[in-house]
Amino acid sequence: MSPRLPGKLLQLSSSIWAAQCTLPRGPVRSFGIKSLNEAKPSRFNVGPGLPVLESTSTAALRRKANSLPLRSGAIATKKGMTAVYDPETGKRTPCTVLQLDRVEVVSHKTRQKHGYFAVQVGSGWKHPSNMTKSLLGHFSANGLSPKRHVFEFRVKDESGLLPVGQSIQANWFQEGQYVDARSNTKGKGFAGVMKRHGFHGQDRSHGVSLTHRSLGSSGPGQGGGSRVYPGKKMAGNMGNTQNTVQNLKILKVDSETGVVVVSGAVSGPKGCTVRIQDAIKKPWPEVAPAAESVTA
Amino acid sequence: MAALPAMRQLGCLRSFFKTQEAIQPQISRRFISTTYSQRPKRVPFPSNIPEQFLSQIPVRHQPQNAPKPIKVYPPPPSTRAVCKDPIASVTESQLAEIDPKGERKALFDYRRNPRSIKQGDIVRVTFKNGDPFNGVVLSIKMRGIDTSFLMRNELTRVAVEMSVKVFNPNVSSVEIVQRAERKPRRARLYYMRSRKHDRRSVENVVAAYVRQKKAFMGGGRRR
Repeated sequence: MSPRLPGKLLQLSSSIWAAQCTLPRGPVRSFGIKSLNEAKPSRFNVGPGLPVLESTSTAALRRKANSLPLRSGAIATKKGMTAVYDPETGKRTPCTVLQLDRVEVVSHKTRQKHGYFAVQVGSGWKHPSNMTKSLLGHFSANGLSPKRHVFEFRVKDESGLLPVGQSIQANWFQEGQYVDARSNTKGKGFAGVMKRHGFHGQDRSHGVSLTHRSLGSSGPGQGGGSRVYPGKKMAGNMGNTQNTVQNLKILKVDSETGVVVVSGAVSGPKGCTVRIQDAIKKPWPEVAPAAESVTA
Repeated sequence: MAALPAMRQLGCLRSFFKTQEAIQPQISRRFISTTYSQRPKRVPFPSNIPEQFLSQIPVRHQPQNAPKPIKVYPPPPSTRAVCKDPIASVTESQLAEIDPKGERKALFDYRRNPRSIKQGDIVRVTFKNGDPFNGVVLSIKMRGIDTSFLMRNELTRVAVEMSVKVFNPNVSSVEIVQRAERKPRRARLYYMRSRKHDRRSVENVVAAYVRQKKAFMGGGRRR
């Protein structure tokens, strides 16, 4: 609240009023209990050699620079699992079959506008009557058909931003490269602690009645604050949470049918949506020719 | 009176005749709140409004600021329509490489091929590396590229079971040594694990088969 002026001042001419405004203000009023002796600066947290604080968005981006992929990923559908044999060695590799369907770049997220670089990618098709007007306008403004799934793929810098409307085919990935696949796990519904957290449950007998599968104690008594600590593992909804499976090798790619075969298992039921992107724990794939074809 | 019960069957048709009478009077009996009324048609904005009235209309309701219809673009061709069952196509491409003539598939397709290996047969499997394995076929699991069969035998008086993937390239051959005496009544002969029904060792049967085969082949060479 600004200090109130006495009533007389208001009646003075405008020139005096302007002069009042230009005058420097007095000391800032502060409230509360104050110490008579001012706090000493810390002996340890001062000096010329201290590092610059890194709590800025620029520093955050710099920290992530090594773990952000150089290029966008793709949205796929899990079709199921099968196996692939190597005809020479006879080695059998269990694999998951994914399919890319009408994957296109919808828009970009940029450092200047949104604080980070990402490619917004859509896949599939959704009937426009089942879509909100705002989302429909977002697609039509970018000259795209309405998409069923829309996801973002973070990239390191603007060189990874594909042009809007660019379609991503299965040959975006190369056979032999590694990808990370993230999808939602199978939902298990409301699950008890034995299933959800692997608790051992309680005894079958020895006087236990009706609580054979429940948890023991939910926390300490008087010494521990007589409360349940936040994050206590309890019964609840299990599954249907995002999971990333890292370092899956691409075994086969067919851009005509959109089929991408990756080694190993991918979380979630058949028909679930899977996001695949270059593996962050493997060397980036050599995509120089692919990048040229994209720009051309 | 004998015809009456038969007439009762047609009683359901009564509702057809009554529909006209039943529904018509109901309309008049409806409450005001539920009476049907035509959806109001959109009245076009009058074109010749004097400027003084037009300026009084809120800016967003003025005709030039009306929302434009959103243009919906058609979708690109779908890969899903091209390949509706990707798992089948992946399996087919595998089989074309591993089993181009479809011999192995036919050898285990016991539901369609009468000459195939069946449950209860004694078979001899040879691998590219290592010893052959003989045994009674307990079950055949048809799972596309993962089709496998389970064999049971007794080696050094210990019962041994081995599951072999049919399309594994390391399997060089599968021979039928002896057919089952009669067709078993089960698809999975797991009862053969019980002591009463156990077939025990099939080594002597296979040894006789191998001897016979060798003689046959040797005779062929001498000529």
